[in-house]
Amino acid sequence: MMDDIPGKIVENSSIISGYHRLTIRLERPLGNVTPGQFVMLKVPDHEIFLRRPFSIYDARLTTLTIMYRVVGKGTEALSRAQKKAPVMVLGPLGHGFTIPDKGACLVIAGGIGVAGVRMLLKNLGKKATLFVGMNGKSELSLLSELKDVEVMAATLDGSHGFHGNVISMFSEHFASYRMKDPRIFACGPQGMIVSLKRFLEPEKVPCQVSIEERMACGMGLCFGCVAETKDKINPFKRVCKEGPVFSLWDLSL
Amino acid sequence: MGPLAVDLLGKTLKNPIMNASGTLGYGIEIEPLWNINTMGAYVTKGLSEKPHHGNKTPRVWEERYGMINSIGLQNVGVDYFFSHYFPFFEERKLPVMVNFFGFSEDEYISCARKIPSHDLIVALEMNLSCPNIKKGGISFGKDAPAVHAIVRAVREATAIPLIAKLTPEVNNIVEIARAAYEGGADGLTLINTMPAATIDTKNRNMPLKGGLSGPILKPIALRAVYECYKEIPIPIIGTGGIMNVEDALAFFMAGARAIEIGTATFVDPFTMPKIIAGLNSWLKENDCASITAITGITHD
Repeated sequence: MMDDIPGKIVENSSIISGYHRLTIRLERPLGNVTPGQFVMLKVPDHEIFLRRPFSIYDARLTTLTIMYRVVGKGTEALSRAQKKAPVMVLGPLGHGFTIPDKGACLVIAGGIGVAGVRMLLKNLGKKATLFVGMNGKSELSLLSELKDVEVMAATLDGSHGFHGNVISMFSEHFASYRMKDPRIFACGPQGMIVSLKRFLEPEKVPCQVSIEERMACGMGLCFGCVAETKDKINPFKRVCKEGPVFSLWDLSL
Repeated sequence: MGPLAVDLLGKTLKNPIMNASGTLGYGIEIEPLWNINTMGAYVTKGLSEKPHHGNKTPRVWEERYGMINSIGLQNVGVDYFFSHYFPFFEERKLPVMVNFFGFSEDEYISCARKIPSHDLIVALEMNLSCPNIKKGGISFGKDAPAVHAIVRAVREATAIPLIAKLTPEVNNIVEIARAAYEGGADGLTLINTMPAATIDTKNRNMPLKGGLSGPILKPIALRAVYECYKEIPIPIIGTGGIMNVEDALAFFMAGARAIEIGTATFVDPFTMPKIIAGLNSWLKENDCASITAITGITHD
């Protein structure tokens, strides 16, 4: 159940340059979280007016963890927030991933997209294989908390694992899963989602993708964050309400 | 009825707090957080004769003390609203104000005609900020004779009380308000968002043009309410940047009969119930029997 919960920052530390891990102690436990859901966070800074959406990286009773990359003025202000700073957390929000009861679960994450699939990986446990794409080796420290998961890594600079982007790597491995009833989950930049779609197009393998958009309210009130779908009657669906997880085959990309 | 009750165009609202059109979805979305019956009336998302898909993203952009939006009037259309969403308000017996728009006089008229008379419908709120396609896209709301003509045409098309929602982007809002009044408007909503743009200096582009809302708009809205209250003898609904009880009181004292809360709900989704509770406490603390006792008090 959605709730607006006061909390305080317990830890806000840099993992590597530009990436942070934020832990919040909430006054009340966050309701049951479906992997892929998010929260709207009131950043403790007077210059930041609207709340910001963040994937739930981890939630245990009254402890909420978020992993984020500094991309704009909101995350920049958040990266400066000190311990004990008060925040407000609205959530859990949105339509998350549907967990399949069979098949091989192939999870693809690009960059900070790994934060968006962390709860999913936890839920899938040993059933999942993670295909992850990073700029370089140093970003692999974002994966340090992933346990029990088989990880295939690609780096754009070739400093670790496959040299190239994650979809190129995935397309080389996909053949070996073809007969195992594969289910694909993805979270990452638009370009990655588009490449994935192009690769899967001939077979239309079941694929759920978590997408990102600028939001104002985060709960379906303002229609500010829409994704274009193939629905002819009502093509623009709210990312915060009908998403952020959509079937790849419903989206117009 | 309690001390916050107000009369609005022949109906009694239990309190004068509504949402600004388009900031509370179709109403049903807020129910996980609070009972929508807490508010005095629900204002619909802007409805048109036929559904509108709206604009591509980005649709929203944050500014210091405000935001810019360009949703593009996405809506399900007036017929779908009444068949699918209106029963939600009927079940709750919550009064509804129906915001609507068109891109031509004909569209305004045919949309207004489709809105049924119903005990729960307080008024039609006519969005006059839309571009008039036949007049090269100039907003209906910027020119007094145009406002007079479109209000009169809609007035003749429906028996439901009619409220004109005005844009602040005009030389003299009192003149526009008078044109709406003389055209037959029964009330005014002041004000709509202010046209604005944002520039992304890093990428050297202009990501979004749209309507500016939020606390940055409050003094502009207050002036419009204050000036129109003096001159135009119909009820005013004040809206623009109301974030808290203090802001709400300012609008009542300037002359607003009721107020609409918009962008504040995005910052704190409980803004409306908090303002309602806060106004009740304020009235008690100030030995004020009714909110109507302070309406327009700054003009005395």
